[in-house]
Amino acid sequence: MKNIQIILNAILSKDIFEYLTFDQNFEVVDSSAGLVKYLEKSPKVGSDILDFLPELVGSEEEIQEIFSKPHLNYVLESVYKNDYYVNISIEHYDVDRLLVLIHDITDVTLTQQQLLQYSNESILINNTLQNILDSQNALLFVTHNNIITYTNEQFMHYFGVKRMKDLQRKNLKIYEYFDSSLKSYEALYERVNSKEEYIVINKDTFILQATIVESSHTLFTLTKVTKLSNEMQQDTLTGAYKKSYFNTQLKRLINNKEEGIVVVLDLDDFKLINDTYGHQAGDDILKAFVKLIQDNIRGNDIFARWGGEEFLLLLEHTNIEHALKKLESLRTIIDRYTFKHVGHMTASFGVACKEEDDDMHSLLQRADQALYQAKDKGKNCIVFKKA
Amino acid sequence: MIRKKILLLGDFSVGKTSLVRRYVDGAFDDKYLTTIGVKISKKLLTLNGEEYEMLIWDVEGSTPSKKISLGYYRGASGAIFVTDVNRQETLDSLADHKEIFLNENPDAAYVVAYNKADMLSEVAKEKIELKDDTFLTSAKDDNNVEALFIRLMEKMVL
Repeated sequence: MKNIQIILNAILSKDIFEYLTFDQNFEVVDSSAGLVKYLEKSPKVGSDILDFLPELVGSEEEIQEIFSKPHLNYVLESVYKNDYYVNISIEHYDVDRLLVLIHDITDVTLTQQQLLQYSNESILINNTLQNILDSQNALLFVTHNNIITYTNEQFMHYFGVKRMKDLQRKNLKIYEYFDSSLKSYEALYERVNSKEEYIVINKDTFILQATIVESSHTLFTLTKVTKLSNEMQQDTLTGAYKKSYFNTQLKRLINNKEEGIVVVLDLDDFKLINDTYGHQAGDDILKAFVKLIQDNIRGNDIFARWGGEEFLLLLEHTNIEHALKKLESLRTIIDRYTFKHVGHMTASFGVACKEEDDDMHSLLQRADQALYQAKDKGKNCIVFKKA
Repeated sequence: MIRKKILLLGDFSVGKTSLVRRYVDGAFDDKYLTTIGVKISKKLLTLNGEEYEMLIWDVEGSTPSKKISLGYYRGASGAIFVTDVNRQETLDSLADHKEIFLNENPDAAYVVAYNKADMLSEVAKEKIELKDDTFLTSAKDDNNVEALFIRLMEKMVL
């Protein structure tokens, strides 16, 4: 009675059902006429049901149990058969027979398939784009109200995080690496704009570029300057930049009509060290001096060796008052440091601020003259020479 | 004749349907068409003089939001776990596919296909470490496809 009800319900529900019954030997007893459209051939009475429904192979024991346990059933969903999608369910019919109901779900499944196809293709495209982005330089995507909305894998890898959440928790402010006086990414964009700028993060140098994307976001690209090119720009003995690199940066500053301060530094009485303690001692002192300066300047300050014991410092994005304070702190650090071989050493500083009419030569010349004045004043001091 | 149910399992778009199509029909189509549900194909095979009918279940691939119906796993004698050798995430999810399948069928045999190997250079292929019963396959180039299915059947019946 229950099974007749199932069939009746199926018909009444206007769903398309076909049925088949089989006995305990898994042999077909009877079937509905429309069943053949799902099968390769018409099921004959007495034939093996597994020939028509190979989907049941492997589940024979489970199905057999339904003969003795009417409350059990067997369901297999979304099976593709002969260009149709069907659900197959097996119910208890009587002690000798089970009822197989085949429910045509082709229309709904094809719709689902289209959606799934669209979804899967989208995931594949998204993954490909993600892989492309991750293979690029470090990327940082920021809204104009200072919220980081995307970083690629290169960026996260550099900062040792795996997820955006970790990055947000770190409260990373890239603009502060560029210039500690900056307060936002918007300010960083204003500074970088369409140019290429150097930014130093954790002793690595990057070329920083910024692009407005749509009206609400800025994309910052950080291209790590390779170790080789860093080495090519550095003085092999001390690790300070070479004069040629300093010249490039100073030229850029003058061409872009940007503000900047040039400092010429000189270790006082260095020649005596070489004469007294030998050149190896002199080299050790130069290395220690450079490290002291490098450890106490901003990442984007350019510190270069001019030659011998004479060095250059280019300070940008600051004013003369702040710069002189900074230089005084450097002078004190050197004055208080105990150098290997010799102990106490001092340095003199000549300072010039870039004026509108300055070119490279006039600016360097003025700083150099200021250094001579510092030497004349008794060394271990800072002289600022106005234009 | 002995019938054996085997499943092809793996993430979506790793080439499960193409492997079946290559093995059963000797054909290949580049176009990606998502499988939904399951499609069962038959293949006759003779091993050591015994004839077997392999019932190959091409099961829809799992996606991050859609897992495979456990009903498909019931009564399987073996499985081919398929990955796309060019997509790391499909290799990463291999362990999950194995675990789910072997929970349902602890005694079942399995082999692994690193599929779409035709997209790799010869140098890249040499760098891939293949463990036992793992095959670098290409349905497109018909490379190692038959060996993959036969090895699984051998593990299941011999």
